[in-house]
Formats: sequence, structure tokens, C-alpha cells
Amino acid sequence: MSKEIEIIVDAKTYHAQEGSLLIDLLIKEKIKVPYFCYHESLGTDGNCRMCMVEIEGQKRPQIACDTFIKPDMEVRSTGENIEKIRTDILELELINHPVDCPTCDQAGECSLQEFYMDYGLHDSKVTITDKVKHSKHVDLGSNVILDQERCVLCARCTRFTDKITHTHELGIIGRGDEARVSTMPGRKLDNPYAMNVVDLCPVGALTSKDFRFAQRVWFLQTVNSVCHGCAKGCNIFIDHNKIKYQDDVIYRFRPRRNDDVNGFFICDEGRLSYKELQENRQGVSLLNSKEITEEEAIQEAKALIKKYKNNISVVIDANLYSEEIEAILAFAKEINASVHSPLDIYIDETFKDNMLKSANRAANYKTIETLSIDTNEPESGGLLINFNHPQEFKSDSKIDFLTHKRDGADLVFPVAAFSENSGTLSNEDGIIQICEKAISKNIPIPTIIETLSKVLV
Amino acid sequence: MKECKIVSRKFEIPNSHTLEVSKAHGGYRTLVKMDEYSPLEIIEIIKESKLRGKGGGGAPAAGKWALMPQESDKPSFLAVNCDESEPGTFKDRQIISKDPHLLIEGILLTCYAIKAKHAYIYIRGEYKQFQDILQSAIDEAYEDGLLDHCDITIHRGAGAYICGEKSALLESMEGKRGHPRLKPKQKEPEWFFDNPTLVNNVETIASVPFIVENGADVYKSYGTEHSPGTLLFAMSGHINNPGVYEAEFGTPMMEYINHFGGGIKNNKKLKAVIPGGASTDVLTAKEAECATLDYETLRSMKSALGTGGMIVMDEDTCMVTALKNLLEFYHEESCGQCTPCREGTGWTDKLVGKILDKKGTKEDIEKLLEIADTMNGKTICVFAPAVATVIKSFVSKFRDEFEVAL
Amino acid sequence: MSFVFSEKNLLKIEALKKRYPSPKALCLPCLWMAQHQEGFISIDAIDAISEKIGIPAMEIYRVVTFYTMFHLEPQDKLNVQVCKTLSCKLCGSDEILKHLEDKDVKITHVECLGSCGTAPVMQIDDIYYEDLSPEKVDEILKALQ
Repeated sequence: MSKEIEIIVDAKTYHAQEGSLLIDLLIKEKIKVPYFCYHESLGTDGNCRMCMVEIEGQKRPQIACDTFIKPDMEVRSTGENIEKIRTDILELELINHPVDCPTCDQAGECSLQEFYMDYGLHDSKVTITDKVKHSKHVDLGSNVILDQERCVLCARCTRFTDKITHTHELGIIGRGDEARVSTMPGRKLDNPYAMNVVDLCPVGALTSKDFRFAQRVWFLQTVNSVCHGCAKGCNIFIDHNKIKYQDDVIYRFRPRRNDDVNGFFICDEGRLSYKELQENRQGVSLLNSKEITEEEAIQEAKALIKKYKNNISVVIDANLYSEEIEAILAFAKEINASVHSPLDIYIDETFKDNMLKSANRAANYKTIETLSIDTNEPESGGLLINFNHPQEFKSDSKIDFLTHKRDGADLVFPVAAFSENSGTLSNEDGIIQICEKAISKNIPIPTIIETLSKVLV
Repeated sequence: MKECKIVSRKFEIPNSHTLEVSKAHGGYRTLVKMDEYSPLEIIEIIKESKLRGKGGGGAPAAGKWALMPQESDKPSFLAVNCDESEPGTFKDRQIISKDPHLLIEGILLTCYAIKAKHAYIYIRGEYKQFQDILQSAIDEAYEDGLLDHCDITIHRGAGAYICGEKSALLESMEGKRGHPRLKPKQKEPEWFFDNPTLVNNVETIASVPFIVENGADVYKSYGTEHSPGTLLFAMSGHINNPGVYEAEFGTPMMEYINHFGGGIKNNKKLKAVIPGGASTDVLTAKEAECATLDYETLRSMKSALGTGGMIVMDEDTCMVTALKNLLEFYHEESCGQCTPCREGTGWTDKLVGKILDKKGTKEDIEKLLEIADTMNGKTICVFAPAVATVIKSFVSKFRDEFEVAL
Repeated sequence: MSFVFSEKNLLKIEALKKRYPSPKALCLPCLWMAQHQEGFISIDAIDAISEKIGIPAMEIYRVVTFYTMFHLEPQDKLNVQVCKTLSCKLCGSDEILKHLEDKDVKITHVECLGSCGTAPVMQIDDIYYEDLSPEKVDEILKALQ
């Protein structure tokens, strides 16, 4: 068992586990040290040499990612000597780096830019005219594009495919400054977590084909949310923006670190699931497939509820927020309806893997179970009020509350998707997680709770 | 000049590479010492003899041997470094082609001392024709029962200077790219698939039989106090009789060059000597006159003995061209793992090329020295510091030639 | 077209596996065997080696591109490797390179071959040709072609 000890960094005292990595402490305490190749999920590689710090008693500066915390250690992360070293190594990193910033998607979230602003800002003293040339915009497959010239050879992407996904598609080939990242000839990057390399890459060498040239990152607004692709509930950032005269749209999901749920990564399917939030949406109320106003729809709903009194079933989608589910339960009680949420349809054993993907595709099924909602199918006949549940049920009359277009109901209400609302989910391990509202559409679609409150009035 | 035949004793004998000739001239007679001495006693003899590693580093061999565990549940290994790729160095090839049985004898003694049961000889890929001679010697030894308790396997490299670095050598043997490893914070043996391994140069191992047979004091009667024994020094370049000639440490450099080398070719004047293979500071002719071939003297002259492979340059040599040639070598051989080396070797190569093309400026020369500073002491292995050494010594000692070329 | 090791090589591989603590060490030996068998290292050969020794194909591919002596493509001409490093340069490697310019061979500039005492030097396949002069080069090429 390693014990907690005190060490000094920049004349301040910190507590850390003896034998742990110095760089972990620096990251945790937000002591700014530049680095490319270290990553908490991948461990130390020691090749970028940027994280050098001065250690009292050691003649030469040491890389923080390969230094273990020892008692009475004194570390200096700032100072003329160290900063000159950083500037010099950064200059070497930049010497063959193409000046692609105007067209590079990484601009604004690029480590090279960031470090240059912190430790560079000098005039280039490079007098040789020929930079080393490699391949640009290589389509690696899985929506990842490689630009070999921009690469700083930190080896994060190759270590990811080696150690995390064990699929070994990427590697550094060649030697010296001819070294470059590549796949084997004719082979593609092809694993369910491939796009995580885009996040791992500190520069614009690996970029998302899906996000290519879509938006400058400094225009994006970010909220915290949770992916609804399965019951794992991987934490995400939703990046969205409203361009003038257009609507607020989501540009991408990015993984958000949560050591208790998904670690650092999300699966590609979850990452790209933002698209379906913006396609084929049910935007208006319908009666017998004809468009009506919200007012008319509410009146129609009240009429139907009165007509089928005591013969109403309510079905709930297990992807809804817990607050929405509870509001529906209260609604069902008011109108004396039976409540169901059949869960079998969400099970997909082929989706499950031994990393993050769960066999249960419903983001909030745990809440259904916790609230002891009946998972049997509803009795056929009477009025069926379906709150976005994907299954088809037989009934005399049907009201659908839908996020996406679907036929078969007499009355249809449009419903806000999870990104247009806030709420909580309970993942398969029972962890309760909050999703913030991301999108505010120009013409907002009402949430379930808003609509129900009008129907009940 | 004292005659030194510690390692090269059998080189001139016809068919010296065969077991029969080797044994007829005393080969393998030291093996009986394994009955006389315990493994720790053998290490003590080596320690007393102050045998220094002959791969370029010059670190005391016994220090490395002592790091190997005498008791371990993991098998120990010996890796003999025959990756000889340092420009100017061609001595290990003499041992494996002219007296391979001496090397095998040394391996047996070393493995006994460090409790290893298997020795690998990592030989550079280009040395195939010499590897064949070594392999037939090993086959002879197997047939003769000499290798009943210790296996020897040759492992062929494939063209990478960096695999001569001991941790890169082991990475290469493990089936990976030859990337040097991050150095541990405490003294420990090297690791081959997580098993303790000793890495030593061919000549270091080949020196062991003489020391074990004759004792530390006889070995120390050669050479100087801090650099005892002999080395297979080599000469190449503008010299009349280039080649490998064994001599004791402390021999004055000019005496060596004149005695064995027959002086400078075409009666030209000496201009510069690189004393120990390309990665050592170049010496001017004046410095060469004061130099003696031992570790301490050359270190005090801000150079190094390295592998003892002298590259001799005459008065007509353009030092800028010579530096460009060496930087091209380093540029080609950098493994590319860490930033300062990967980018620095390319950049300095191009800068000197620019100066050679008459497009250089004074700032370029300053920049060369700056880059050399950045490459020094901030990388994973000592390849980049070697480049820094070369650049700094050439530019500072022959500055006028660089400025004229601008 | 798939690559299959010859019977002889398969036996060698099995014998070698006993000499190392892990089959992964057979990477370089297997690559040499494959190159000798086929004349170059094909992707199929890499896959075959990967199966035999348990290293992912990409790792083997990385290794192949790291070393200078492995070829990923068939060699159609005689590969003449001339040493260009300092000692050979001081002893006239430039003259040899110039002399080879108009010959029907593939000329590769290689770094120090460890034959500085007999410079200038060239290597063709596994043999060193030392103490070269333009005349000697002509003799050697004639004998080989």
C-alpha cells in the first residue's frame, strides 16, 4: 500500500501517493505543463519531451510523465531554464508542421496552437525552405481522416488501437523524420470505437470526416449530457450552435470523462447518434394524418380520453427522462389508465461488447424497473396513449407522442428530443446522471410535460 | 610499442576460425576455471581487472555483471552486441570471423558468472558472410559438447544503427521496432521479455578468457591505471595502412597512427582525427599530437575514446563536407521516437547542406549550435547527444571553414 | 495469392521457438526467411508470420518499414549498395557512385557497412566487395550478371 506524502511544486505543498506519476499530480492540481504524448488512459510514452520539469538535486530536467513521486521531492515547473527548453522543443515540433491552421478543423482546440501561445510567440528562425512532405487527407475509414504532415508522432492513436481496442489498425511506419502514422496497405481503421482517436489526437492530424469543415470550434456552445444510445449512459458533451437566420443545431457529440461510467471514450454509434435527433422529426400535431394546431390537438385528446374512459392504456418509452416518466405516471393516474413499458424490444445482444456497449438499448430502463412499471404488453382494445415507445400495439384508437415521424396513430403530438430538454437518467448500474438542455429551436417543440399539463387542465 | 595479443592472438593463423585450430592454440583451456572459481569469484576477477566495456561507453563491465541476480525464478540471459555500425568501427567483425571460438569461450565464462543458460549474439544484418563463419563455429562447438550447458543463438538484425543501443537491441530482439527504452531511475539489469539480461559488446566478452586465465594483475599490466588492458583500435580514412590493430590503452595517438598506419596517405599533412567512431568530438592535428588513446586523457580533452575507431583526415579535407556526411548518417539512422532527435537531425542536416550550397548565413551557424544544445540531454537515449557533440566540435574547431562557405 | 512457408522454414521456425522465451522474438528471423523465400516481404507473408508468432500484422509491418534491409516490393534489378559514410567518402566512394551511374543496376546509398579499413566498399546481396576501384566494379558486375 503506498502512502500519501507531501511534495513541493513551485514552492507550494501538495499531497500525493508515493510512487504515483508526477504528471498525474500536475494535471490534477491544474499546474500547467505542456504535453502531447501522455494520456491518462494510455499511460506514459515519453516521446514528446514537452513535459520536462526541474527536480531539485537532478542535474538535468526530467520528463514529468516518467517521474515517480518520492518523499521530499521539490519540483519547479516554471522558470527561465525550463521555459526555454519548452520553447526549443516546440520549435522543433513546428519545423515540419504545415501551416494549415486556416483550413484545419483542429484550430481552436489544438495543443500545438495552445502551447505556441503559452511558450512560443517567437519569430520563426527556420531558414530551410523544404519541410518534410507526407500524405494529407487520407480517408482511414470509420469517419476518420489522417493528415500525416500535421502529426506530431505522439503515438496516442497507435497506442489506442493497441491497448484499448486491441484491433491494431494504426502504427508508426518508417524511421526518423520519415516516420508517419498509417494503416497497413489496403486496410482500414475499423473498430466500434475508432473515432475516439480524433479526440485523442492533440493536433489536426486525425479529424472527423463527419465534422470536416462543418464549423469553427470557437463558435460552438457546449453542454453536458448523456448519450441515449444504450443503457451505459456514456457521458458526452453536446456541441451546438445557432448560425444567424438558421436554427440551433448540434454539430457533434464528444466524450466526457467519467471514471465511474465510460472513462474517456464513447462508441462511434453513440457519437454519431446526434444525427437522428435532427432527422425525420415529428414537428407538428396531426389528426388522421392531417396537420392541426396544438390547441385543436389538445381538444381532440381530451375528447378521446373522455370517450374511452376506463379503457385507456399508457405505454412509456424507456428512453425518456425520469421526470418525464414520473409526469406520465401522474397523468395516467389522473385518467385512470394502466401503465406499461415493455422492455424486451430494447434488448440487442449483438450490440453488447466487453467495453462500453450494453445489450440494453434503452437509456433509462433502470428507472422503469425502479418505479416497478409493468413490463407486460398492454391489453388490446380501447385507447392507447403511446409516449414514444418503439413497438406497435393493437388498439381501437391511438394517440402517439412522437419525437420522430411514424404512421398509425389517429392523433399525433410532437415531442422535444432529449437534447431540447433537460432531465435525469439512471444507467444500467443505477447511476443517476443529469442531461442539460442543449438546443433551443427557433420554433420550440413542446416537451411531454408541457403538453400533458395542458391536456390535464 | 608493447606487443598486445590479448584478443587478436590467433587472428593471423590460417583457419583460425575452426575449432581444431583454435584448440591447438589454446582455445577453451580457460573453461577449467569454472571448476576452480565460483560465479561470484569470476565477477570479482573481472571487477579487479577494471575491464571496461568496449562498445563505445567504456563503463566498468563488472558493474553491469553485478546487477544480474545470482538467484532468480526468472531465467537470465546474455546478449552479445555485435550490431557494430558506428562509422569508423570494424573491429568486432574481426573477432567473429577470425577467432569466433574466443568469443564462444568468453560467452561460456560470462554465462557461468551471471548464471545465464542462453546467450544471444545480435549481429547486424549486413554482416551475413561473417555471421556464417560464426554460425559454423557455434555448430562445431555444439558438436563438441561445449554448449551442453549454455545455448548460443545468433539473432540477425536488419539494418538499423540504433539497434546497437542496448535497450533498442532488446526491443529489436523482442520483435518490435528498435526504439530505445526510457531509462529506469534505479540501477537494474536490462530486460528481455521481463527476464534479467546482460548486454555486452563482442570484444568485451572476448577479453574475458585472457583475464580469467591470467588474472587481473596481468591484464592491468597493459594500459593505464584507469584504462587497463587493450583495445582493437582501428584506423580508416586518409591513412596508408588502414585496418584493425590491437594496442594497449595509453598509446600516444600519433605513435599508433605512424607505427601501424604507416602515416598519412600521399605524404599529406594531418588535419583532423575523429578518435573513437563518428560520435566523438573531432580533434585538430595539434590536439591529436597531444592525445593518448585512453578514456581519461580524451575526456580531459573534451572528447571521448568511444569505440577507438579513428577516422583520419588530411589537409585537403573540407570539414563542412565531412560534417554534412556525418549528419546525413545521423539523419538516416534516427529512430524517430522523440521530438528533439527526429526533427533536429533533419534540420541540422539541411542547414549544413544550405551552407555547403553557399546559401548559408551567420545566423545559420548560430542556429546549428542552438539546435545542438536542444538535442543534448533531453532525449530518451544518447543518440541525440552524440549528434550534438559532432556538430559542436566541428563548428567550434573549424569555424573559419564554415564562415568561408557562407 | 497466399504466402506459405516452405517445409524447411517451418521446421526452422519450430526449432527456433524453443530457443526464445517468447515466440514474438521470431519476428526478425521469420521476416528474413520470408524475404529469402519470396525475394521480398509481401503483405501475405506478414499475415502468415503474424499467425505463426502471435504478433499483430500491423506490428510486423511497422518493424519491416523500420529496418533498411527489408523490401516490400520485388527487386527486379541487381541491388548495389554503396557505402557513403565518412571513411568511404574520404577514400573515393563518390568516384564509385559516379562510375555506377550508367550501369543497369539499382544503386542504393547505404550508411557505414563496417568495412572502413578496406574502403570504398559495396554490398550486393549478402557479400561485401571491398577495396573497390572502377575497374574492380566492372569485373564484379560482369561476373554477377
